[in-house]
Amino acid sequence: MDLIYRYANRLCGEAEAAKDLVQETFLNAYRGFKDFRGDAQISTWLYTIASRACLRMRRKKKGEPERELSLDEFVPTSEGEFRLQIPVDGLTPEEAFQNKELRQALDQAIEKLPRKYRMVLVLRDMEGLSAKEVGTVMGLNERAVKSRLHRARLFVRRELSARGITEGPSEDVRATTQTSGGYDR
Amino acid sequence: MTKKAISRKKAGAQGGSGHKHETGRCLHILQRLSAYIDDELASNVCEEIRRHLGACPNCEVFVESLRHTVALCRHRPTPALSPTDRQALRENILRAARAQAR
Repeated sequence: MDLIYRYANRLCGEAEAAKDLVQETFLNAYRGFKDFRGDAQISTWLYTIASRACLRMRRKKKGEPERELSLDEFVPTSEGEFRLQIPVDGLTPEEAFQNKELRQALDQAIEKLPRKYRMVLVLRDMEGLSAKEVGTVMGLNERAVKSRLHRARLFVRRELSARGITEGPSEDVRATTQTSGGYDR
Repeated sequence: MTKKAISRKKAGAQGGSGHKHETGRCLHILQRLSAYIDDELASNVCEEIRRHLGACPNCEVFVESLRHTVALCRHRPTPALSPTDRQALRENILRAARAQAR
């Protein structure tokens, strides 16, 4: 249940909607358990049910089609757009997240993603599934997963860059950073 | 927009950097950056990208910014269910499942 709640929270961005999605997911799993063939991990099966439920819940809410993201829109058009205008240099992600504005900026950027891109980003980069597993969950081939993931990452990068967070980390974070190794390479 | 047009747009935007982009080269690199970050490309392609990054400061800055973005996504903590919420949710699910079974 914690796994699906975490996924639901990342997809929905708020606790109550996430709880509704968890409930819907487990009820659907209960109904469909007889059809579970066991050729995927149970977690992958639950992610699949949650993703479908999430898309159904969204369709009920709004009828408009989701927009497609094109690579062209992510080509920087001015000097400032190449750089991430946020204070992360030399900080580990954990240290960087002590900046509340950065946490909010990232959450809002992910929330702004069209849902089919958000699902891929959340499953691959946040839940840590492989591209193949994401493909199983979303009914896509690996190539399509990687294409969506790339666009989703570029979208979030652009949103963070455009946000221009100027507030740096607190003094104690800066002090601990002197000995830390920075981001994963 | 065509690749050529994008390349022209991009080259124009970088006019002040003192760096001249080859036509379409940066866009070609941009298309592969996630695969590059995820280490999914053949070694000769990685080498080609590294060579480009060494010669193109803007692309180098861009790939670092994308790497930072991915690292932030990977490490973003999410709130966990409280024990009370977990219990309430479990009871709701069981109640609804029992109602369906009747």
